[in-house]
Amino acid sequence: MTDVITMDHIVKVFPPNVVALNNVSVTFREGEIHAVVGENGAGKTTLMKILYGMQEANSGKIFLKGSQVHFNKPGEAISSGIGMVHQEILLIPEYSVWENVILGVEPTGYFGKIDQQKSRQKVKQQIDEFQFHLDPDARVEEISVAARQKVEILKLLYRNVSFLILDEPTSVLTPQEIPQLFDELRRMRDNGRTIVYISHHLEEVLELSDRITVLRKGSKIDTIESSAATKKSLAQMMVGREVIFESIRKTARTGNIVFDMSGLDYSFPQKRPILQNIQIQVREGEIVGIAGVEGNGQLEVVRIIMGLLKPDHGKIEIQGKDFTHASILERREKISFVSQDRANMGSCLNATISENIIMTHHRLNKRFSKWNGIVLNKSQIRIFSEEVRKSFDIQMDSTEAEIKSLSGGNQQKTILGRELSLDTPFLLLDQPTRGLDVGSIEYVHEHILQMRDDAHAILLLSADLEELFRLSDRILVLHRGKIVANLKTEQTSIEEVGYLMLEGGAQ
Amino acid sequence: MKRNLFVNLAGILIAMLLGAIVMLIQGYNPVETYSALFGYSLANFYSFSTTLRNAVPLILTGLSASVAFASGPVNLGQPGQLLIGAIFCVIGGLYVDLPPYLMIPFLLLLSMIGGAVWSGIAALLKKFFRMDEFITTLMLNMIADYLTYWAITYPLFEPRANHPQTPLITKNGFMPKWGNFNTNVIVMLIVFFVIWFILNRTTAGYEWRISGKNSLFARIGGVKIEKNYLAVMLLTGALAGLAGGLVIMSGPHRFIKGLGANYAWDGIMIAMVANNGIPATLLYGLFFSILQTGSLGMELITAVPSELITVLQAVIVLVVVASRGYFELMIAKIATRRKLKDRDIYPQLINENAIDREDANQ
Repeated sequence: MTDVITMDHIVKVFPPNVVALNNVSVTFREGEIHAVVGENGAGKTTLMKILYGMQEANSGKIFLKGSQVHFNKPGEAISSGIGMVHQEILLIPEYSVWENVILGVEPTGYFGKIDQQKSRQKVKQQIDEFQFHLDPDARVEEISVAARQKVEILKLLYRNVSFLILDEPTSVLTPQEIPQLFDELRRMRDNGRTIVYISHHLEEVLELSDRITVLRKGSKIDTIESSAATKKSLAQMMVGREVIFESIRKTARTGNIVFDMSGLDYSFPQKRPILQNIQIQVREGEIVGIAGVEGNGQLEVVRIIMGLLKPDHGKIEIQGKDFTHASILERREKISFVSQDRANMGSCLNATISENIIMTHHRLNKRFSKWNGIVLNKSQIRIFSEEVRKSFDIQMDSTEAEIKSLSGGNQQKTILGRELSLDTPFLLLDQPTRGLDVGSIEYVHEHILQMRDDAHAILLLSADLEELFRLSDRILVLHRGKIVANLKTEQTSIEEVGYLMLEGGAQ
Repeated sequence: MKRNLFVNLAGILIAMLLGAIVMLIQGYNPVETYSALFGYSLANFYSFSTTLRNAVPLILTGLSASVAFASGPVNLGQPGQLLIGAIFCVIGGLYVDLPPYLMIPFLLLLSMIGGAVWSGIAALLKKFFRMDEFITTLMLNMIADYLTYWAITYPLFEPRANHPQTPLITKNGFMPKWGNFNTNVIVMLIVFFVIWFILNRTTAGYEWRISGKNSLFARIGGVKIEKNYLAVMLLTGALAGLAGGLVIMSGPHRFIKGLGANYAWDGIMIAMVANNGIPATLLYGLFFSILQTGSLGMELITAVPSELITVLQAVIVLVVVASRGYFELMIAKIATRRKLKDRDIYPQLINENAIDREDANQ
C-alpha cells in the first residue's frame, strides 16, 4: 500500500501555554481505515484540523503523495480530496438536505441560477447509492443528529473526497446505527478511499480500523496494527495506566418512589404524537436508564421534566408533590440536571468557572448570599468552587478563568460538580459522559454510583448501551414515543435492549 | 485588567495621532490644538468642573446602555428615556414646591420614573406582543422627541418666550453649586457605585450578566429570565431618565427645544467603546466630556473647527474597538513564541501566520 499523507514533526501551541501537539509524525496509507485515539485533549482533533487547513501548525510539514502541501483553508484541502466531518455538525438548519449538500458547489445554469432539479436529483442519487435513508427535501433542523451527520458525510462524497476524516462520528449515533456507518466506511475503504477515524471508543476502533495511532497529551505514543492490539493494551497506551472496565455496580437497596411521571402525552405540531402515555418511576437508591434510538422522544422527555416544554396530559410528581406546572426554579430544588448540550445548556462559556459553578446554587443555597439573598457571598463562592474543583479533580489554573479555557472533559466535570453538589433527591442525567475520555468516564461513573448509594433517585439517558448496563438497575426502552419495555438489568442483555430499541415491543 | 488598560490607552493614542495627521493635512498645528483642547477642559478648577458637569449625562446614559447590553436587552432608547425623564422633572418642578432637601430627591426620583415608564412601555410591548425592544425603543425615541416638543410648545409653553420652552422650575429644585462645581457629579458618582455594586456583587446582577451571555443556561439554572428582563429595562430606563432630570436641574433649569441633543447617542457610543464595562464607561464618559468641553476652547484659541472633535470621537471608537481584537491577538502571539522558546521546539520553524489564523478561527 502506498502512503497518501505524511505529517512530519507537527508542533502546535495554543496561546498562552498549551502545547497541543509536540513533534507528531503520522503516515496514512491509501485504502486504510486509520484510527487516531487518545484521551480528551490528547491532540487528535487538532492534528486533523491542521491537516484539513482549519488550523496552521507552528512547525512541521505535510506531504500529499510525496509532495509537500500546505492548505490555508478547508476549501483547498477539499479540492485536493481531503475532507473532514466534525464533532459539531456545521449545517444550515433552515436549508433542506440537498441544499446543504450542494452549498458552495452548486450546479448552475444561465446567469448563475441554481439548477435545482439537477442538484436535487444528484443528491438523491447519492443518498440511494450509499443507502443513507435520507429525505433530500427534509429541512435539516427537523432531522435527527444522526441524519445530520450523514448529510455531512454526503457533502464530502458529493465533492469527490477520497481522504475522509471523521471526528468522533459515533458520539451522536445509536448502537444500531453504528454498524451501518461501519459498513459504509468499509465500503468506502474497499473503493480505495482512506478514512481517518478519531475516537476514544476502543471497541469501535478495534472492530473497524486497520491501523491505530495513539496520542497522549500531544505526543504520539505509537502507530500499531489493529490486529496486534487489545482493548487493554490500547487503554494503557492512551492513559498510561490500566483502566478497569468491569462493572462496579453493587446491588441496589431501593426505597420510596421519588420521581413519578404518569400518563404523559405530548404532541408537536398539533396532533403529531411525540410522546404517548409515558410512565417513569424512580425510587430512592435506584438508577433507571432510558435506552432508545436518538429522536424517539428522549429530548422531549428531558425538556418536559425540566419545564422547558408543557405536556398535553399527564402528571409529574416528585416526592409526592405535583410538579407538572412548577416553575423551573421550583423544579431545581428537587432536580439536578446534566444536559447533553454542554455549550448551550450546561455552561456559559464566556463566564468564569466559579460563575458557572454557583449557578442554581446561588438561589437554592443560603450560604452563597447575604442580606436576605440580595448580595452574593464572594468568599463562600470561592471556598465552594475550590471544594468542587478538588472533589471532582478539575484541572484548571484558577476558578476565575473562563470555563471555555478548560478542555471538554474538565468542562463536563465542572458541570457535574455543580449539579451533583446540589444534592437534590432526583437527578436527571442526559448523556453525562458524552465526549469524555476513558479515565474521566470511570470517574464520573463512580460519582453517579456514589449518589445512588446515598439514596438519590437517578434517571439516566444515554446513547451508550454499555454505560446504561453498567450503571442502571432498570432499563426502560423508548421507541417512537412509547415506553416499550421495563427491564431489570440483570435479566436482560445488550442484544435484547438493542432489538427493542429498533423494533419496539413485538419480538 | 492591566492588558485592558493598555489596549484602551494605545487605542486612544493611535486615534489622537490620526487626528493630528488630519490637522496637519488641513494646515493646523496639532500640538497647539491639543494643548488648547486639554487646557480648556482640564487646566484649572473652573474648566475641570465644567468638564465634570458635562460628563454626567454622558456617563449616566453610557451606564444605561452598558448595563442593558451586558444583560441582554438591546435598549437603544436612551435618547427618548432621557427626554421623558427631563419632562417629568420639569413638570414636577413647575407644579410642586418643597424645600430643597425634599425637592431635589423628589425631582431625581420623578425623572427616573419618567425614564422607566418609557422603557417600561418597550418591555410591555415585548411581553404582550413579542415586539423586539431593539425596534420599539428606537421608535419610542421619535415619539418622545415629538411628544416633548409638543409639551413645551403647548401645555407647558412659557408665554413670553420666542422659542418653544418651559418656564423655569422652582429654585428649590436647582442642583446646588459649590463655586463652579455642580453637585450633579456627586449624584452621578453615587449612581455609578450603586450600579457597579448591583452588577458585580448582587445575586440579580450575577443573573443579568449570565443571562446576557447565555440566556438558555441561565433559564435552565433557575433564573427568571422575564422578570430580570423587565428589571433591566426599568433600571436602564431610569438611568437615562435620571440623566435627563440632571440636565434640567444642573443646566438651563427648564426644558428648551433641542435639550439633551446628542448626550444619549454619545452614551451608547461610550458603552460600545467601553465594551459594556462599568468602570470603563465612567472613564470613557469622562474622556469624551474632556474632548467635547475642550472643543469649545480649541475653537476659541485656534482656528480648528469644533467639528473636528466629532471626527476624533468617531476615530477613537473605531480604533479602540478594532484594536481590542488586534492587541489580544498580538499578546497571544508573543505568548506562543515565548512558550515555543521555553520548550525549544523548532524555534527556527515557527510560523508566525499560524497564530494569526488561529485566532481568526476561534
